[in-house]
Amino acid sequence: MGCPIGDDGGDELILAYGARTLAPQQQVELERHLESCASCREMAEAQRTVWSALDAWSPATVSWNFDERLFRRIENEEQKAWWRRLLPVSWSWRPAVPVAAACAALIAAFLLKSPALFFPETSSDSQPKLEIEQVEHALDDMDMLKQLGLESAADKAQTMGKI
Amino acid sequence: MDQDGIHTPAAQPSWNTRVKDNRPELEALERDAELMLRVRDGDQASFGLLLERHRGPVIHFLYRMVQRQAVAEELAQEVFLRVYKSRGTYEPSAKFTTWLFRIATHLGLNWIRDGRTECRQASLDEETVEGATRQVADRTRSVEQELVHRAKLKEVRRAIECLPSKQRAAVLMHKYDEMEYTEIANVLRCSESAVKSLLFRAYEHLRSRLAHMA
Repeated sequence: MGCPIGDDGGDELILAYGARTLAPQQQVELERHLESCASCREMAEAQRTVWSALDAWSPATVSWNFDERLFRRIENEEQKAWWRRLLPVSWSWRPAVPVAAACAALIAAFLLKSPALFFPETSSDSQPKLEIEQVEHALDDMDMLKQLGLESAADKAQTMGKI
Repeated sequence: MDQDGIHTPAAQPSWNTRVKDNRPELEALERDAELMLRVRDGDQASFGLLLERHRGPVIHFLYRMVQRQAVAEELAQEVFLRVYKSRGTYEPSAKFTTWLFRIATHLGLNWIRDGRTECRQASLDEETVEGATRQVADRTRSVEQELVHRAKLKEVRRAIECLPSKQRAAVLMHKYDEMEYTEIANVLRCSESAVKSLLFRAYEHLRSRLAHMA
């Protein structure tokens, strides 16, 4: 700014002057300075212009049903499933996708490396064994029945011969 | 007087000290915290009172940030929804308005950052008419004065829109919400000197664009 106050918070002082937030004593001191300093005066005037130009931008009116819409949204949130309410506000599925992908990759790697850990030889292997045993038992039974049948036939022949 | 409104005789006066009595502000601060604590305890009516007190400033701030009324209202709904959802964990450690504007600023900056601005230039032209019609009509102005006013308004909006988003947020809080540097710094989560720097650069830009409007 090329003046003594320019090196010591001059910008801040002129912003406050433009916003009319200076204490009365400070305002008097600054105005006295502005009378003698053209660059500060120019800046202060420009700042006041900006301030009043911004004043022209009055806000638009708020929709009549703003509150109603908000309370409806709140109600909808309240009705959400309990487990969804337990999740943090900022919960999103987006970060869960890479985590799920990493988990899937890990499981796949384990499966490839040691499938026995996940698929132990239980029902699939024991079932054929059972079937074989059952067949063997059935064959033995049939042999026994055959022998019994032969023996009974021989007995019949013997009794017939005796007669 | 420091940021908490406590007199410190040895402290140097700040140029940014607003010339006003801080007692009503302190009362309002306590009232906000009290209302929020009641909301935390399940009092819905207190939430309605908080909404009534802060609905306007939040919507107007967001409207000036994003320059679209419908978007501003949508974002403001999100702000109050977040406040309501956080009621269970609310602790009156920080000023309520700081917290409120932090959420609003975060949402506004995200909206601008996320590139939802592709049709902003077009929308600005549309909204100039919409915004002007939605504002309370000043019946004391003649048609010519009204046209001049609209042209000025358009220029102001364009100048604000050209500011980088953080500078824009700082200027809007400083100018329209009368926030002090400390509070703006708390909202933007930066130092007071960073806020001063943001404001000086922003006002410098605005002076270069709007000084001719004297």
